Amino acid sequence: MNQYQVSPAEKKFIGSHILVAILALAVGSLFGPLQAFEHAGWDFYQYLKPFIKSYYQGLTVHGVLNALVWTTFFIMGFLTFLVIFGLKRQLKNPTLNKVGFWMMVVGVVAAAIPILTNQATVLFTFYPPLKANWAFYVGLTLVVVGSWVEGWGLFMTYAAWRKENPNERTPFVAFASLITAALWQICTLGVAVEILTMLLPLSLGLIDGVDPQLARTYFWFTGHPLVYFWLLPAYISWYAFLPRQASNSKMFSDSLARLAFWIFLVLSTPLGFHHQYVDPGVPPAWKFIHSMLTFGVFFPSMMTAFTVIASLEMGARKSGGKGAFGWIGKLNWSDPSVAAQLLAGILFFFGGMGGLTNASYNVNLVLHNTAFIPGHFHLTVATAVTLSFMGISYWLVPYLTGRKLWQPKWATIQAWVWFVGMIIFSNSMHVLGLLGAPRRVPLGLAPYVPAEWNSRLFQVGLGGAILFVSGAIYLLVMLKTATNKERVESEVIVPVADSLQDVAQTPEWLDRWAPWLYGTLALIVVVYGPQLVDQIANIALTSPGFRVW
Amino acid sequence: MAKKDKEEDEFRPTGTIAVLTVFVITLIAIWATIYAILVQRGGTL
Repeated sequence: MNQYQVSPAEKKFIGSHILVAILALAVGSLFGPLQAFEHAGWDFYQYLKPFIKSYYQGLTVHGVLNALVWTTFFIMGFLTFLVIFGLKRQLKNPTLNKVGFWMMVVGVVAAAIPILTNQATVLFTFYPPLKANWAFYVGLTLVVVGSWVEGWGLFMTYAAWRKENPNERTPFVAFASLITAALWQICTLGVAVEILTMLLPLSLGLIDGVDPQLARTYFWFTGHPLVYFWLLPAYISWYAFLPRQASNSKMFSDSLARLAFWIFLVLSTPLGFHHQYVDPGVPPAWKFIHSMLTFGVFFPSMMTAFTVIASLEMGARKSGGKGAFGWIGKLNWSDPSVAAQLLAGILFFFGGMGGLTNASYNVNLVLHNTAFIPGHFHLTVATAVTLSFMGISYWLVPYLTGRKLWQPKWATIQAWVWFVGMIIFSNSMHVLGLLGAPRRVPLGLAPYVPAEWNSRLFQVGLGGAILFVSGAIYLLVMLKTATNKERVESEVIVPVADSLQDVAQTPEWLDRWAPWLYGTLALIVVVYGPQLVDQIANIALTSPGFRVW
Repeated sequence: MAKKDKEEDEFRPTGTIAVLTVFVITLIAIWATIYAILVQRGGTL
């Protein structure tokens, strides 16, 4: 099978993203278990002084490096690969993409210095009036703007391809990647405005205070679609690669997949108020509207679940799979890339259930700011996304480096260990939340912990320890693969699945950008506009910055 | 090849429907459980 050959220079460029991502994951993951251990009463932070001064500094390192840096770099590298491979052409302006990448690297370094020197212990949500050193905000801005610049490079490449191929359907992997990049460009406007108009001026002493309500509104304009920026690249892999990897199957419906991505673009931004149900400054009617739109995202999510599972089932049936569930055993579970993504998908089912519960205007009151929330997002970003990215890297890194995956059996074990560790960790966090345990609190120090929490807090520590082992195995496999002297015999085949239908039959309206983009912007204006106008008109820069650590 | 194409044409995703049915039932059960907690707490915190 003759596949498009990505050039060595482009492979190196894509690999640079993956390298930074994995380094961030390595450092950030050192601190994840420390939070879990602290909950179980094993406080290792006391041994890290004077380098790491507090639980909150460790939590900031963990959140920023794992939730923001690992994901953003992996995604930008993966999207770049998918656009080049999908469109079968080189980047239109590789220098532009390189500029974007190096802006992101400089941004990470700029943000890391104040975090590691305890000048930016503001967690990954950096809610004001918590105040960080200005370099933290400049660094985050550079990461975001750098990713925009890389996105522009991808759009220019698409424009050049479209000019050369005016009547062709955009290949799915490139199409879905471009939508993901577009979603990111739109949604990050919120956090960009927050940093540039409030947080950076505050940290530089140009203003005396901030408006926390408006800042939170800006933040969640970005914060929820950020979840889809994380998830959509995993979805691309589930739609386009996993069917072939898991059961030598095809994508069940190209049209349905494209429609799902468009709906994600339209609906993922105008729903941020569902994170602000208890914010007093947002009127209930707007919260209700955002709540309804959040439930709207259930539909493309179910379309995705249907298409992906049907694609897998179709191949498994051909391999002799029987019964309502028996076909699942016929999937290629021995392939570490498959095992990781399937296990990620299974746990994501529960992440989806928790997400819908969080998004319910009334039920959210039981869960808000409890341990249920980190329990939930460890099923989404830390499993559906992270474990999928790990699975993708099990074929992508050999593809990029030309080196064989080191010990595939260990890679498979890694996926299963993550799965088991996350079940223990996340389940206990969910239950603790229902019992009233707050999030963002070093519960090992809390004097009010009732006896009924204790067994669950122990399970949090146990789950964290197992996850740490899995993370260590992953890093070992990646390190040994990158330095493996054994090279692949021939070019690694990119496991992209064909569509069941002829892609040329996909309706043209599913390959047109203008109506979907205008629709997205119009919906944002309608459901965010009046509140933003009101909050900006009544802005009160009266809350002085705090440093509470 | 022809046999495979026929299998694909005749494929009915019954297993997929079964999996998604289990998902929806579990989702409703979890949601209802937490709703019951809300009601037990008097509908408010």
